[in-house]
Formats: sequence, structure tokens, C-alpha cells
Amino acid sequence: MSNQIQLTIDDQPVTVPEGTTIFDAARMNGIHIPVLCHQQNETPVAVCRLCVVDVKTRAFAAACFNKCEPGMTVKTDTPPVLAARKTIIELLASDHPSPCVRQQHSGDCELEAMAAQYGVAEPRYARGKLAKPQDDSSLSILVDHAACILCDRCVRACAEVRDNNVIARQGKGYSATIAFDLNASMGNSSCVSCGECMVSCPTGALTNKKIVGQHLGGESLQVQELLKLPVFKGVSGTFLELNHGAVVKRVFKKGEVLFREGDYGSTAFFILEGNVDIYLSSPRAHVTTEDADKSILSKLKSRLVPRKDHQRDEENLRRQYISIDAPVDLAYDNPVAQLGPGDLFGEMSCMSHYPRSATVRASTDVVALEMLRNVLDVLQKNKSFRAQLDMKYRQRALETHLLSVPIFSSLTHEFINQLRDRVELVRYGPGDVIFNQGDVADSFYLVRIGFVKVTEEHPGGEMVLAYLSKGNYFGEIGLLLGGVRTATCAALDHVEVVRIAAEDFNAMLENFPDIRESLQKVADERVAENQSRYKEVTSVSLNQFLKQGLMDAQSLLVLDLDRCTRCDLCVQACADTHDGVTRLIRDGLRFDNYLIATSCRQCRDPLCMIGCPVGSIRRRNSLEIIIEDWCIGCGACAESCPYGNINLHEFVVEGSPNPQATQKARVVRKATSCNLCHEHDEPSCVYACPHDAAHRVTPTTFFSQLMASRTSTGEPKA
Amino acid sequence: MAAAAVLLVSGLVYFPYAVRTPNGPKGSTGIGLAYGILGFSLMLFAMLLGLRKKYPAWRIGRGQDWMRGHLWFGLLSYPIILFHAGFSFGGSLTRVVMWLFTIVILSGIVGAAIQHFMPSVMTQRVPWETIYGQIDRVELQLLQEADELVASAVKIIPEPVSKPEHFSGVSAGVKAEVEGLKELQHVYEAQIRPYLKVRGNYDHELAGRTNARYLFEQLRLISAQELYEVIDDVKNICEEKRDLDRQSRLHRILHGWLFAHVPLSFALIILSVIHAVMALRF
Repeated sequence: MSNQIQLTIDDQPVTVPEGTTIFDAARMNGIHIPVLCHQQNETPVAVCRLCVVDVKTRAFAAACFNKCEPGMTVKTDTPPVLAARKTIIELLASDHPSPCVRQQHSGDCELEAMAAQYGVAEPRYARGKLAKPQDDSSLSILVDHAACILCDRCVRACAEVRDNNVIARQGKGYSATIAFDLNASMGNSSCVSCGECMVSCPTGALTNKKIVGQHLGGESLQVQELLKLPVFKGVSGTFLELNHGAVVKRVFKKGEVLFREGDYGSTAFFILEGNVDIYLSSPRAHVTTEDADKSILSKLKSRLVPRKDHQRDEENLRRQYISIDAPVDLAYDNPVAQLGPGDLFGEMSCMSHYPRSATVRASTDVVALEMLRNVLDVLQKNKSFRAQLDMKYRQRALETHLLSVPIFSSLTHEFINQLRDRVELVRYGPGDVIFNQGDVADSFYLVRIGFVKVTEEHPGGEMVLAYLSKGNYFGEIGLLLGGVRTATCAALDHVEVVRIAAEDFNAMLENFPDIRESLQKVADERVAENQSRYKEVTSVSLNQFLKQGLMDAQSLLVLDLDRCTRCDLCVQACADTHDGVTRLIRDGLRFDNYLIATSCRQCRDPLCMIGCPVGSIRRRNSLEIIIEDWCIGCGACAESCPYGNINLHEFVVEGSPNPQATQKARVVRKATSCNLCHEHDEPSCVYACPHDAAHRVTPTTFFSQLMASRTSTGEPKA
Repeated sequence: MAAAAVLLVSGLVYFPYAVRTPNGPKGSTGIGLAYGILGFSLMLFAMLLGLRKKYPAWRIGRGQDWMRGHLWFGLLSYPIILFHAGFSFGGSLTRVVMWLFTIVILSGIVGAAIQHFMPSVMTQRVPWETIYGQIDRVELQLLQEADELVASAVKIIPEPVSKPEHFSGVSAGVKAEVEGLKELQHVYEAQIRPYLKVRGNYDHELAGRTNARYLFEQLRLISAQELYEVIDDVKNICEEKRDLDRQSRLHRILHGWLFAHVPLSFALIILSVIHAVMALRF
């Protein structure tokens, strides 16, 4: 037993074990000393100085840090002590927004409560002028640096209580803040969202992002029940407590539909018991418009035509698998697969709010966990859960994923088996750079989840080369052409890629010369395309031209407003050509005396491709946009197009690939955009214009000629 | 070129024909009949443009070629018919037909001129042009936007707690602000809103740019600085409405002549058929 020492606190004799702090001695004897930076389960650091007491020495002592000494006389509430505390509160409050987020929501900001107790309404000191931002990147915790008083409770909670060591301080003086890892945003750091820092924080600097208005509708599970499930092994109970209701148990009867393709959802599912069928019910067919009998008077008709009946030159005919938001890919000819216990699906919808990529129906009675984004995020950062998912991916999906890329369709099972344990699954948050232009090329990547933006740096700025979705690959050019990255690749949303090391990639090329040949061909084509686009973009420079984003277009429908009589025959011709669904609106921005009509621009930066849950919208080799057969008509591309140039066309079809589904006729939707009436020599809108006002032009050429003519005639530029 | 060639050949044929025919050129002669058939065929061809426009997606020739054909062959039909009639307007029916034909041709020339010059006028004078069929909807949106703006002004300058009519206990600055707000609300209800509510409204004083500018300048003078943004926004809404009304008017001019040209053309064809039947039968 340790030695006991005697002292006096506020005239009260006290006996405590040797080594006890003054703060603890007072607390054990019912004497309250206010403090902000100290908690019982953390090492005292005495940074807030609120717990100062008079111990009859030259200066006041911090009670949380200083230990009791025999015969010590402590005064906790003398007028000078109270005045010192009040001054400290005023100083802290002068750098703290009032009311902070926490005070607004739950009214329990410790600093503001203390300020009220000490009668500090408005601090005498000027508020800090340095703006401190909010960090909204974490899915479960909001960081408000302005509300932080640098008490370090979160730092110690992360390091001492949880042993995560993610949070520390950065900067000096007024610019000092808490930081995550090497000053990354919280969402992009190695933070596992355990919630310990949030629980420790005395102010509104770290608060829980409540999921407002979400009612999952299943059986809400208690924390203890969740922690008993293997899937939640290692997940913080504090986090689950704070996010009660964000994960529920759902029971589905056999035949019940969990969700349908194209639906909007914000949850992911994890199967505990039973099996589900995951399939595409949209017909695999594309929209084509042509004369039924090829006579000049026949009306053009838009139809859905399967690939076997109508092969388009630009189509990827070797594609055998369709990528969906699940750990499996669907075979093109029979797009049905089964998922069972331990499978997670709906990740992209949950993390990035993309439409559901496929329909899921219970093939037996099913018990599943349905979870919101913050729970899924924590699970994905959980090492044991990640390992489980990775193993399943390697066992079941890697092979179809590789084979779904046409260039790799000749890979043998033996080689894929070799790769199985060598590939690495890597995750990136929104905005994370996967590699930079000029870096050493050391890997090849396949996109498994999300969208990757590929850009190239030029003296005039950054040019977007492509958006790559699931089923696409990147990094081959650097490996094939000299070992240096020729472009920058960054995650546009929550991205997961399969990383194949250069060594394995080179082995693949050695073993499969046809793959080397195909990859080399694609790489050469990509490099040539990028160079020609760069030349075009730099040939015209005009403020207005750039402001309207016209340099981004490859083909524009322009109407010469000095000739156009606004008769709308162009619109009527377009509608007549496409069954009454026009792909052109005679409205839009003006450039000089030209109207840039609302019709597909074949953008260089095709934002329409972002968010397609099944990756069915892509570029042709000529960079025109093509919508593949397996479009599910969800409308994500139409919403993403900033110019409103994508429409949804309805068709009546019969049957469904799912044997249990109804065989009745139903209406399906397919996305369509201007196809330049490629079955004819000239687009209908241009062909029909009686006043020679409508033209399809290559913007850089057209506008550079226009500007040259303006300059030569002395007319002012636009 | 084809029209010019036809005209040249017809003219070359006409002069010897006119000189050599004993009683002068007439529609009943062989050559006169030939001119009649040619002229009527050209009129029918010109009429087919209407049908072509009904089916713009048909691949039966570019719209621009059809328009050129309509203009030149339509114009050519007039001298050919004059050759057919020997430059005589004839009896009562033929007189009516010829005058009608003349009006149709003149209306066509006027229309062609309008459609040639008016688009650039519209481009210059209506910078914020919209789709003609959407003008009603856009103007309604502008009205709603203006209503919301003026309603929001009340939040910017709240009513004083004391009785507003006497302004007792309220500072002079606040009094002025409240007066400015009341004036804005009054002017809006009495003048601006009625102007925005009715499409066209060309006689309204806000339809004139100068009057409108004066009114809004006056409003700014008596209003608190916080209301300037609202006043400027309402002014911009009025300008946009004025542009849309101007677009309506120009659009009606651009296409209004067709209301004369098209029905008269139909009437001309019908009367021409009657004339042909009557002439051949009797």
C-alpha cells in the first residue's frame, strides 16, 4: 500500500495516497474544480489552465497536473483564483464561435456552459481574425477547427484510449490546429471513425454527423447485438452507439425484391443468411433510328436492337461481362448471378449515391444488414472486414473482372490463379491522387469501384482525358512507354482499384504476346488522340470561347442567328427522326451571332460518364459518345450532362431475363443523345433547315476561322 | 440558274410567238396553253414547300434546296403566267386570279425580305431570346420572381415596433427606410406588377426603356441602400420582360406575313384549277 499524505483543501483536511493530483484529491472529497483539458482516462497535460488553484506559492498551480504534497494548503475558490479563471474563459471564448455546433444542437458545450457560469457574456478581447475552416470529409464526424480550443483531449483519446495515433497538433501560435495523419483531411486520413475523439471533445470542434430523416425501416439492433456479429468485430462500440439506427436487420421473403436497377438508394446490404439473385432486367439492346423500308418517304423509326441483330462498328464486341455494383460481374448473354452469406453489395449507391446498377431479388428467405454510408465507411476501414471482402473478391470476382476487359480475355486460368494472391486492392477517397504525371510507373490498375479522372498538365492548364469506371484500366502507357506516368489519375469519388505490380504486368505481357500487342496499340492510340486534342485546344484562345466551355466540345450544332427565322424545323426534324423525342432544343448560349443549340457536344470532358452505375456510356474511338446495350435507363447520365443533352427514350418490350419475373409487356427506358443521324449523310436538323442556318461544326476550326474573318474585316471580337 | 434558264427560253419563245400570232398571244393557243401548264406546274411546285415542311425528316432533298426552289420557281411562275395570258388580265375570273396571283407574289417577296433582314434585327435587339412558345411561361416566372423579391424587401427593412403611421419614437433614418419600402411596395403593386402580369402591354409606361429607367432611379433615391439590390433586380426583370415582348412582336412580324401568303396561295390554286377547267371545257 502506498504512503498516505495529508493536506488541506479549502480548509478541509484531506488524506490521499502519495502521487494523487490536487484535482483528484479535491474530486475524491467532493470539491469541484473546473477543467476543460482533462478527463479521468487521459494523462493530464495542463494546457487549459482553468483548474488553477492557490497553493500559497509564487504562481497558481494547475490542479490536474500538480501532485499533492504533505501539509499543502490549497484554496480553489478565492477571488484571485476565480478572477484568473474568468480571464482564461474570456480568452478561450474570444477564439470560439458562440454558439458552436454542439451548443446549437445539444446545448452542452463545456466551454459555453462554463462561460455562462462565470458570467462571461461577450469576451473583452477581440475575436481572432484567422479564419479556420470546417472539415466535412469524414462521413461520421464534422471537424470545426474554429470551435477547437486545443485542449488536446481528442489527441490523447486517439492515442491513449484507442491507440490509433491519428490525431496530433500542427502549426504554431494562432495558426495551430489539430491535424490528422500528416495534415490530411479527416475523411482521407487513416481515421477509423471510432468516435472516441468526438466523445472526448469538450466543445463543438468534433461533432457527430447525424443522419437526419433516414428511416431504414428494419429491425434496429442494439450495440451489444451488433458487436456479437463477426462482421462488426473490432468496430468501436462508441461509434455504433452514436450511430444507433444507421444499421438495421432486414428480413426478406423468397421472391421479394430488395431494390430495382435505376432506383436511387443510399444504403448497402450485407447478407447474413440466404441467397439473392442479382440481375439486369433491361433488355441488352441499343437504340437505332433508321428507315423501316429504306424508301425516301418512309418515316424514320427508333427501335431497340440487340447486338446480334445490329452490330455497330464502334462497339466493343468482345465484351463478355457487365460490371455492376456487387462483388460479381454479370455475363452479357445471361446477366444473372447469385450472392450469398458474407457478400456485400450496393457499395457505390451507398458511398456515392449512384443509382442501383441491378435488380436484387431474394431467391431464398434472406436476412441481411442494411447500412448507411457512415457505417459502411467504418466497416471498410476495419481490417478484418476488409480482409474478408478482399478474399471473396480474389476468389470469385477477380477472374471475371479481368476477363471483362476485352484486351485480357485471352488470359488463362492458370495465370489468373498466379495473380490471385499477388494483386492488391487499394481504396482512395474523393480527390485522392493515385499517381501524378511524371511519377515513376510501377503498377497497372483496374477500376473495381467508382470513377477515376485522368488529366494531363499543359502550360495552359489541365485537360481532362477520360473518366474511367468499373471495368476500365489505366497505367499501361507509363509501363509500356518508358516507365514514366504521362497523365495524372485521381479518384473522383470513393474508388477501389486492383493494383497489379509492374513485375506481374510484365510477366503477363511476356506470357501473352497478343495482350502486349493490343495494349501497345491502345496506348499508341491514346497518346496520338491526346496530342491531337491538345493541338486543337491550343489553336484557339478567346475568353468567351473558353468561358462557355466551347473548347471542351468536339462537335457543336450552331445556328446562325442572322439567318435563322426561328421556324423550329430543325427541332421538328429531330423529333420526327427519333419518334417524337427530340434530341435538340433551339436554346442555349450565344457566341457572336451564333446560337450553340442544346444538343450533344461530344465533350472532351464527358461528365455524362460519371455516375453510370453499369458503365454503359463511353467514348467511341472517334471520341463520340456511345451508349452501350446494357443501359438500364436510370437517367444518371442525363442528370450529369451539364448541357441537358441526354434524353430518355421509352420503349415497350416483353419478357425478362429473370425466370421468376413477369413476362408481360413493360416500358423500359434507354438513354439517347444526338447520334448525328449517322445512318444518313447529314443530321436531320441540318438537312431540314430551309435557311442554311443550322450547321454541325468542329468548334475549334469553326470559331478560329470565324475569328480570323472578324479580324480581317476589322470587326470586333466576341 | 434553272429558273433563269427557263425564263430566258420562255422569253425567247414568247417574242416570236407574240409577234406572229394574228390576234395576239392568248392562253387558248397551243403555246399559250403550254405556258399555262408550265406556270401552273411551277405554282404547284412552290406549294409543295408547305408539304415538305410537314415532313422535315424525309430525305427528299435538303430544306435549303426546297426553299430556293420555292423562291425562284415561285417567282418565275409569274412571268410565265403573264406569257400565258399575253400580259392581259382577261375576264372577271381571270382578273381575280391574276390580282390574287400578284398579291401572292408580292406577299412572298415581302416575306422573303422580312425573313432575310429580320433575323439579324432580332439577334441584335433581343439578346436574351427564348423559345417563342415558352414566352408565356418565362414571363410568369419573372412575375413570381419579382413578387418574391418585393416580399423579401420586408425582411430587409422590418416594420418598426411603434405605430407606423405616426412613426413616433422611431429615428429619422428608420422612418426614411420604412417610407422607401412602402413606396417600393406601392409602385410595385400599382405600376410594375400590372406591367409584368400582361404579355405585350406595349402601351404601359414601363414598356419604354427611358420611362422605366426614370422610375427605378426615383425609387432608388427614396429607398434605403439595403433595398438597392432588390430594386435593381426588379428593374432587370422588367428589362427582360421588355425583351421578351419585343421578341414576341418581332416574331409575329417574322412569321405573320404567312397568314396572308399561305391562305391566298391556296385560294389561288383553287381558282386556277377552276379557271383551267372552265377554260378547257368552255
